Amino acid sequence: MAMAVAAVGAAVAMAGTLRQSAVAPLRVKAVVPAVRFRGAVKLGVGTRASVAGAVKAEESGSGSGSLRDQAEASFSLSKDVAGPDFFILDLAEKLENSVEAEQQGETLGSRALANLRDRSAEKALNSRWPTSKDEAYRFTDVRFLKNLDISPTPTHSVATPDFASGLGLDETETFRLVFVDGVISESLSKVDGLADGAYVGSICKISAENAGSSLSQALEHLGKPAAGTQDDLFTFLNGLGVQDAGVIFAPEGVHIAKPIHVVYYSTGRGGSKHGEEGGTAISLASPRLLVVAETGARVEIIEQFVGAPDQTYWTNTVCEIHIADGAEVSHSCSQEQDRGSVHIKQTQVSQGEKSTYKLVEAEIGGRLSRHNLQVIQLGPETQTEFSTFSLSSQRQVQDLHSRLVLNHPRGISRQLHKCIVTHRSGQAVFDGNVKVNRYAQQTDAGQLSRSLLLAQGATVNVKPNLQIIADDVKCTHGAAISDLEEDQLFYFQARGIDALTARSALVFSFAADVLQSLGNDSLQKRLEGLVKSSLASDGVVNPNVPVGL
Amino acid sequence: MASCSSCCQHVATPGVGGFAAASRRETRAAGVQVVGAGRLQLKKGAVCGEELFRGQSLQGLQRRVRRSGGSVAVSANALAAQLQEERAEKPSEARVILEVQGLRAVVADTRQEILNGVDLVIREGEVHAIMGKNGSGKSTLSKVLVGHPDYEVTGGTAMFKGENLFDKEPEERSHCGLFLSFQSPVEIPGVSNMDFLRMACNARRKARSLEELGPLEFYGFVAEKLGALNMDPKFLDRNVNEGFSGGEKKRNEILQLSVLEADMAILDEIDSGLDIDALRDVATAVVGLKKENNAILMITHYQRLLDYITPTYVHIMEEGRIVKTGDMSLASQLEAGGYNAVQNLIAKN
Ligand SMILES: Nc1ncnc2c1ncn2[C@@H]1O[C@H](COP(=O)(O)OP(=O)(O)OP(=O)(O)O)[C@@H](O)[C@H]1O
Ligand SMILES: [Mg+2]
Repeated sequence: MAMAVAAVGAAVAMAGTLRQSAVAPLRVKAVVPAVRFRGAVKLGVGTRASVAGAVKAEESGSGSGSLRDQAEASFSLSKDVAGPDFFILDLAEKLENSVEAEQQGETLGSRALANLRDRSAEKALNSRWPTSKDEAYRFTDVRFLKNLDISPTPTHSVATPDFASGLGLDETETFRLVFVDGVISESLSKVDGLADGAYVGSICKISAENAGSSLSQALEHLGKPAAGTQDDLFTFLNGLGVQDAGVIFAPEGVHIAKPIHVVYYSTGRGGSKHGEEGGTAISLASPRLLVVAETGARVEIIEQFVGAPDQTYWTNTVCEIHIADGAEVSHSCSQEQDRGSVHIKQTQVSQGEKSTYKLVEAEIGGRLSRHNLQVIQLGPETQTEFSTFSLSSQRQVQDLHSRLVLNHPRGISRQLHKCIVTHRSGQAVFDGNVKVNRYAQQTDAGQLSRSLLLAQGATVNVKPNLQIIADDVKCTHGAAISDLEEDQLFYFQARGIDALTARSALVFSFAADVLQSLGNDSLQKRLEGLVKSSLASDGVVNPNVPVGL
Repeated sequence: MASCSSCCQHVATPGVGGFAAASRRETRAAGVQVVGAGRLQLKKGAVCGEELFRGQSLQGLQRRVRRSGGSVAVSANALAAQLQEERAEKPSEARVILEVQGLRAVVADTRQEILNGVDLVIREGEVHAIMGKNGSGKSTLSKVLVGHPDYEVTGGTAMFKGENLFDKEPEERSHCGLFLSFQSPVEIPGVSNMDFLRMACNARRKARSLEELGPLEFYGFVAEKLGALNMDPKFLDRNVNEGFSGGEKKRNEILQLSVLEADMAILDEIDSGLDIDALRDVATAVVGLKKENNAILMITHYQRLLDYITPTYVHIMEEGRIVKTGDMSLASQLEAGGYNAVQNLIAKN
C-alpha cells in the first residue's frame, strides 16, 4: 500500500499566528477586540452589495421591466463607477427566464416566493462576482465559474429519477422531503403522520385558506434573515432563481416525532457529461429550505445532497432556520455530490432565548464546496454546537466559512472543525469567526479546528478568528495543522498494532470523531463508508482495517 | 528462551549501537543458541544486587575473552560452553524473562539524561515492584522498554526472553509478550474500544500463527475478560479511553493486558486514581492473570497495592538508577519513614 502520510512540505497557510496544537484558554478582559488575528477583518461578504445599496429599493412586482433595465437604472444612481457586472446580469436574466409562468402562481406561498425573487434580483445586480481580493474569497477560487456556460436546470416534467433506494436512510425512520433540481417532488416526498399544525412541504402549496395564522406568519421569514446576517452574491442568485422552497414548520411546543430527511437531487440536465469534449456546460439548480421552530418546538433535520453521477451541475442552495425561544433544532448535513459538481450553500440561523441549535456536517463531494454558515443570537442563554468535517481529495476544494454572533449574555457555543486533505491538488479552507459583542457577558465559547494533511503539497487555509468585545467571557480556541498524534500512534504500536495499520485507524478515526456525532446511525454508517472508500482509493488508509462500520 | 546475543553485545561495546549490531549479526551467523546470562547469575543466590554484581563480573569475563583475541563468534562459543555447564548445575531455577543491564537513556529532543545505568533481572513467576520519588525515572524506564519514540537509548542492554528488545519495533515487543500499562493512557477519539481490542488481539494472534478472531468470536472472548474485571460491556462501545475517568482508564489497561495475555506486564501506577473497590478489582484481576511462567513489574508509590500482590523484590529508583533492592519490608520502611529513612540506609551500606 502506498501511503503518503507525511505532512512535511505541505503548503500550510494560516492567517493567524497560532500553530500550536494545544487549546489555549483565553480569559479576556478588554474593551477592544482582544483576540484578533492578522487579516481577521469583518467578513467582506456582500460588502459590495451594501456599498451599492445607495440604490433605492424599488418594490418591483414580477411584471416590472426587464432585469437589464432595472440594473442599468440602478447603476446610474450608484456610486460604483465600475458599472454592472455583465456576467451576473446575463446569469440573472437566465435565472429569471427559467421560472415558468405557472410557478408564478397565486397561493400565499407562491407570492412570498415571487417577492423573494424580486428582492434578490435587485441585490444580485448590485453585486460583483467575488475574487481573491474579497476577504471572504481570498483562498477560494470561484472565478472559474465565469468561464463555464451556466444554465438553470430545466425543470419541466421529466421522469422522476430513481435514486431514493440509494440514499442509505430507511424511509420508515424519517419524514422525507425531496427536491429534484430545486423543485419539490410530491411523489418522492413522504410526510404522512405529521403532528397537527406542523407542516413539511412545498411553499407553493401553502394558501391563505389552508394555512393557520402561525404558518402564514412563518412565511414572513422567507428571505429575511436576522439583522447582522451577512449576505453574499450566491444568496441573491439563489433567491433570484428559486423555483420552489421547502417549508418545515413546527408550531409552538410541538416535538416532531421523526427526523425530517431533506434530499436534494441534482440531475444535471443540460450540463456536460464528464470527460465530454470541450464540455463547459454546467446546470444550475437553486433549492431553498425554510425552517421555523416556534417556541418550545423541537425538530431534527437531515439534509442530504446527492446527484446524477458524471454530470456537471451546480447546486446553489439556501437554508434559513429560525429557532424561537426554548426551541431546539438539530441539523445534520451530508454533502455527497459528484466530484465534478459545484456546491455552494448558505445556512442562516437565528436563535431565540434558551434555544438550541446543533449542526453536524460532512462535506465530501464536489469539486468546489463552499458553505457559509451564520448563526445570530437573538436572546440570552443559547446553545450552539457545530461539528463539521470535510474531505478534500484530488482537485477538490472544501470551504467552510462559519460565523457566530453573540449579542446576549450566557450563550454557550462549541465548535469542532476537522478536515483532511489527501491529495496535493486538494484544498481545505476554514474561516471560523466567533464574535462576542458588548452585551454577551459570561459567554462560554470554544472553537477547535484540526487539519490533517496527508499528501505533499496539500493545502489548507485556516483562519480561526475570535472577536471579543465583552469583558467577562470564557473563550478557548485552538488550531492544529498536523500529522497524526505521535502518542496515539505509539499507543497502537504498544498494543501490537503495526504503524501502518495504526495510521489507517487514526486517519479514519480523525473523521469518525465528527461522523459519530451524527444522530442517525444509518447516515453515520453511510458516511463512514464513503469516507473510508475515498481514503482507501487515495491510498491513505488500508481498507481492511477493522475500525468503524 | 535466551540466546547468548546479550553476552556478545556486552563483549562488543556496551552501549554503542553500531558495534553491537555488527556483533549480533556475527553471533547469529555462528548459530549459537544457549541459555542466557540470567541463569548463570542466579548461582550467587536470590538477592538482586548480587545478581547484578555477578552480571558485571560476567561482563568483565567477556571483555577478557575479547581481549584475548577471539572473534565475537568464538567468544560466544566459549561462553556457551560455560553456560551449558552452569545450567546443568541449577536445573530448578526459573528462567529469566527480562534482563536489563546498564541501561542509559536520554530524551530524544533535548538529550536530557534520564536513565543512568539501570540494572534489573526478572524471572518467570516473580513480581517486582519499583518505588521512587516523582521524577526519578520510573515511567521513563518502562516506556524505554516498550520502545517509546520520545527516548533514545544511549547505553546498556535489555533482553526479553533472550532477545534484544532494542532490535525490535514497539509492536514486535508486544508480540513477544511484553505489555506496559501506561501511567497516563491516551484517548483515541473515533476508535471504539471493541475495534481497538480486537485489532490488538488479532495482531498478537497473527504473530503467534493463530487464527484471527471475527467480531462475534472476539465478543465472546472479551466478554469473559470484562466479567473478571467487573467492567460494564458498554465500555466496548465507547471510544478508547475517551472521557474515561482515571480509574476507568486503569481498568481498561488491565482489560487490554488480559486480552493480550502478555508474559511480562509492566504496570505503571495501576493503583493511582482508583477508589477502594476499584483497587481491589484491579488487583484481584492482576493476581488472577499471574502464572508460573509470567512476571509482573509494578511501579507504585504506595504499599496498599503490594498488600494485594506481594512482590518478590522491591527496588528503589533514584535519579535514573536502581539504588536499593530488598523485599516487601523495604516498602514498609518507605511507608513508615519516607525516602529519607531509606536514603540513610543506603548511605550506611
Ligand atoms: N518526554 C520527555 N521530555 C522531557 N522530559 C521528560 C520526558 N520524559 C520524562 N522526562 C523527565 O524525566 C524525569 C523522569 O520522568 P518519569 O516520568 O520517568 O518519572 P517518574 O519516576 O515516573 O515520576 P512519577 O512518580 O511522578 O510518575 C522527569 O524529570 C521528567 O520531567
Ligand atoms: Mg511515572
